[in-house]
Amino acid sequence: MLEQAFNGLVGGAFFALLALGLAVIFGMLGVVNFAHGAFYMLGAFGAFVLLDSFGVNFWVALFAVPIVLGVVGVVLERLFIRRLAPLDPLYNFLFTFGLTLILQDLIKSRYGVQSQPYPRPSALSGSLDLGLFTYPTYQVFVLAVSLAVCALVWLALTRTRVGMIVRAATEKPELTRALGIDVGRWVTPVFGFGIALAGLAGVLAAPMRAVNPLMGADLIITVFAVVVIGGLGSIFGSVTAGFAIGLVSALGNLYVPALSQTLVFILMAAVLLWRPAGLFGREEALS
Amino acid sequence: MLRIEGLSAWYGEAQVLREADLEVRKGEIVTLVGRNGAGKTTLLRCVMGLHGRAEGRVSFVDEDVTRLAVHRRARRGLGYVPDDRGVYATLSVEENLTLPPRVGPDPWSLERVYETFPRLKDRRGFPGTKLSGGEQQMLALARVLRMGARLLLCDEPTEGLSPLIVAQIGDILREVKAQGVTVLLIEQNVHFAATVADRHYLLAEGRIVESLDNDEMKAREGELLEHLGI
Amino acid sequence: MKALGRAAAVAAVGTMLAGCGGGPGGGGGKISDGRLVLAVLNDQSAIYADLSGKNSVEAVKMAVADYKAKYGDKAVTENIDVIAADHQNKPDIANSKAQELYDRQKADTIMDVPTSSAALAVANIAKTKKKVFIDIGAATTALTGANCNKYTFHYGYNTYMLAHGTGSTVTKDGAKNWYVVYPDYAFGQDMNKSFSTAVQGAGGKIVKSDPAPFPNDNFSTFLLKAPGLSPKPQVLGTMQAGGDLVNLVKQYNEYKLRDKGIGLAVGLMFLTDIHSLGADALAGTKFTDPWYWNADQGNRAWADKFLAKTGKRPTFAHAANYSAALQYLDAVQRAGTDKSDDVVKQLEGHKFEDVFAKNATIRAQDHLLLHDVALAQVKPSSEVKEPWDYEKILKTIPADQAFQQPDPACKL
Repeated sequence: MLEQAFNGLVGGAFFALLALGLAVIFGMLGVVNFAHGAFYMLGAFGAFVLLDSFGVNFWVALFAVPIVLGVVGVVLERLFIRRLAPLDPLYNFLFTFGLTLILQDLIKSRYGVQSQPYPRPSALSGSLDLGLFTYPTYQVFVLAVSLAVCALVWLALTRTRVGMIVRAATEKPELTRALGIDVGRWVTPVFGFGIALAGLAGVLAAPMRAVNPLMGADLIITVFAVVVIGGLGSIFGSVTAGFAIGLVSALGNLYVPALSQTLVFILMAAVLLWRPAGLFGREEALS
Repeated sequence: MLRIEGLSAWYGEAQVLREADLEVRKGEIVTLVGRNGAGKTTLLRCVMGLHGRAEGRVSFVDEDVTRLAVHRRARRGLGYVPDDRGVYATLSVEENLTLPPRVGPDPWSLERVYETFPRLKDRRGFPGTKLSGGEQQMLALARVLRMGARLLLCDEPTEGLSPLIVAQIGDILREVKAQGVTVLLIEQNVHFAATVADRHYLLAEGRIVESLDNDEMKAREGELLEHLGI
Repeated sequence: MKALGRAAAVAAVGTMLAGCGGGPGGGGGKISDGRLVLAVLNDQSAIYADLSGKNSVEAVKMAVADYKAKYGDKAVTENIDVIAADHQNKPDIANSKAQELYDRQKADTIMDVPTSSAALAVANIAKTKKKVFIDIGAATTALTGANCNKYTFHYGYNTYMLAHGTGSTVTKDGAKNWYVVYPDYAFGQDMNKSFSTAVQGAGGKIVKSDPAPFPNDNFSTFLLKAPGLSPKPQVLGTMQAGGDLVNLVKQYNEYKLRDKGIGLAVGLMFLTDIHSLGADALAGTKFTDPWYWNADQGNRAWADKFLAKTGKRPTFAHAANYSAALQYLDAVQRAGTDKSDDVVKQLEGHKFEDVFAKNATIRAQDHLLLHDVALAQVKPSSEVKEPWDYEKILKTIPADQAFQQPDPACKL
C-alpha cells in the first residue's frame, strides 16, 4: 500500500512537471499550450537522438535537451505566439494544436511510430532500500528531480523579484503593465522555461517509458485534466494536483481497475461541479 | 501636465467616448463626474493606454504619449489606481507595495508608507486580498505613491467605503497635492469631490459637456445629483 | 457445367459492355472494368503504421510483380492496380473508406485492416457489396465466428492462436500460476479470455487478471502488486500491444520482476516491438509468431527483397499481406475472372504453400487460413548477429493444432 502510494507519486512527478509548465505559460500568456505534450515527446526523442547518433549520455541530455527546447520555445514565442496573442485566445490554441501535429509528423516521418530504445543510465539501474521497501533507483531519482525542480520554481516564485513579477503578471497582466512593468519582456523567457520543463520531463521519461511520436499526445489529455483540477493558472494548484492525480490513479488501478481509465476525468468533473475554478483557482480568474 | 484632445473610444460597435478634450495642470486635483456608463473609466484607461480601440491624442508633460506602451507611460510618472483597486491576491501586502518600479523624482519610502498607513505595516505579510475594502484602497493609493507617480489616475477611490475612510482618503489626497502631485479623480460623490478638488469636468455620453470650478459645483449640487441619478 | 456456362455468359456480356465503353486493355475481357484493383486499407499514420502500414502496400506490390512474372502472357490481366487508404484504426472511417474503395475506386478486394472493430465494419460492407475482403491485421476470432460471411477471409493470426501457442506452452513448461494484464478494449478482453482458456486447459491457473487503461504509460501499479498476489504468480502475461507493451516491459525490467521469480510472456509481439525495446529487455521471453523473416532460407530471401525496397526487415504482417495478395491473384487466375463468387470458390479449401503460409489451407467452413506458426524466443543481444535478428524459433506449431476448431456460430 505504502509502496503503491510512493509509486503513485512517481507517476505524479511527470504530471507535476508538465502541469507546472502549462500553468506558468497559461498564467503569463493566457495561452493554452496544446503543444506541451509534443515538447515532452521531443524531450524524450532529444535524449534518444543524442545517445543514438552522438553517443551523448543521459546526464548531459538531462541538461542539454531542456536548454535547447527552451531556446526553441523562445523562438516560437517571438515568431508566432506573440503575433497571435492580441487576437482571440482560440488562435493560439489552434496554432499550438497544429504545431503538435506538425512536430509529431516530423518525428514520425523520420523515425516511424515504433518506439525507440533508450537504456537506463547505469548509475541508476539498481534498487534502493528505502527502509520500508526497496524501490528502483531510477524511479526514486525521477521523483527527487521533479520535487527538487518544483521546489526551486516555488522558491524562485516566492522569494525573488522575478518570481513576484511573474505572479503579478499571471494574476493581473494588464494592471501589472499599468504599474510600469514590461510584462512582454518576461513573457518570452517564461514560455521558454515552460517548454524546457516539458523537455526535462521527456528526458526523464525516456529510460522508463516508450519513446515514440505519440507518447505526448496520450499524456497531455490527462495533464490538462490535472491543470483544470488544480485551478487554471494556479501554479501551486497544478503541482499539487499533479502529485495528487498520480496518487489517485495508482490507487485507482489497484482497487478499481475497471475505472482507472476514466477516474481522472470523473474527478475533474466532480471538482468542477464543486469548485468551478478548480481546487486552488480563484473564481475571478474565470471572468 | 495632462492634455487630452479629441479622444474617441469604442467597445465593439458602440462608441463610448466622443472627441473628449480635457486638461489637468500641474498640482491640481481634477475630478471627472458623470453617470454610470458615461465613459469615465474608459477615459482613464485610454490615458494609461489600456483601451484597445481609441483615437485622439494624449500628452503628458508636453510629450505625446498616444503611441507609448502601457508600461512606459507608467514609467513617465502616471500612477494608476483602478476601480477594483487592483490588489494582488498572490502577493503579500508588502510585495503589492514594492512591485512597481520607482519612477518619479520623489517617491515615498516604505517607512513613510507605513507611517501614514499603520494598518498596512501590521499586515504587511498577509496576502493583499485579506485586507478590508478600505485597507485595500489605502494599499492601492500607497502603491502609486511609493512609485513616486507624478499624476495619479484614481478611479472612484471612495466607492463603497465608510465616511470615516472617505475622510481619510480626502486627507491623503490633500497631503499629496501639497507635495506637488497632480490627481485626476473619477468621483460619483459630488460632495466629496467638492471638498478635495480644484476643478471638475462633467462627462455625459462620451463628451466633456462642462467644466466647473468648486463654487459652481457647490451651487449646482442638487442639479448635478439629479443628473448623475443618485 | 451450368455454373461455368453462366460465368461465361456473364463474362461475355461484360466484354460487350466494356467494348461499348471504348475497349478494355489487352486480355482484360473477363475482368470487370478491365483491371484488377487490390486495396490495402490500414493504419498509415498511427500506432500500427510501422508494423504494417505503407510497407504492407509495398509487399502487395511485390506480390503483383511476382504474379506477373509467374504467368507472363497467360495472366488474366496485365492491368493490376494497388491502392491504399488510411483508416486511422477507427471503425467509422474504415466503414466509409471501404465503401469508397469498393464503389468509387472499383476495388476487387480490400486487404489488411488492423483493429478488430474496424475489421468487423469492413467485413459487413464486404458482405453487402459482395466483394472479397481478406483481413490480416486484426486479431479477433469473431471474423471467422459469429461475424463471418461468404466474402470475408481471415489470414495470418488470431487471438486463439496467440493465446494457445504462448499460454499452453509456457504453462506446460512449468509456469502454472499466471498474472494477466490486458488493455481494456476489445482486443485485450478477447486476448484475456483466450489466454485464460489456454492456460487452464494446460493445467495452469490464472491468479488474477487486471484490465489496464488504454493507452497507458504507467504500469507500475500492476508490477508492484504482482509479487504480493497469492499464490505468487510465476509468469506475468501481458496482452498489451505497441507502445503500451514497450512501456510495460521497460517498467517490468525496472522493478526487476524476473529477479523476483516472475517471468514474462507476451500475448502479441511484433518484430518492431523487440527492436524498440532492445533484445536484452526481452531476452528469454517466449511468444507465438506466425512468421519470422530469418527462420529459413526461403523467408530470408524474400526478406532481402523486402529490405531492398523498404530499408527494413518485414514483420509477419508484411509477409502475410504479400501472401494474401499472391493467393488472391492466383485464385483470380484459376477462376479466370475477378467475379467475387468465383474467386471465393477458388479460395475456399485451397491448399498451398508460399513464403508466408506453410502447410496452408483456407478452411472452407469459416474462411480462416490455417498454417504452421512458430513458438519463438527473444535472443539475448550477445546472440544477435545482425540488425533485426532477434528471434530464435523453438518449435513449429503445426497448422492443424495452431488454430481453433470452426465456430458453430459461423454460417457462411
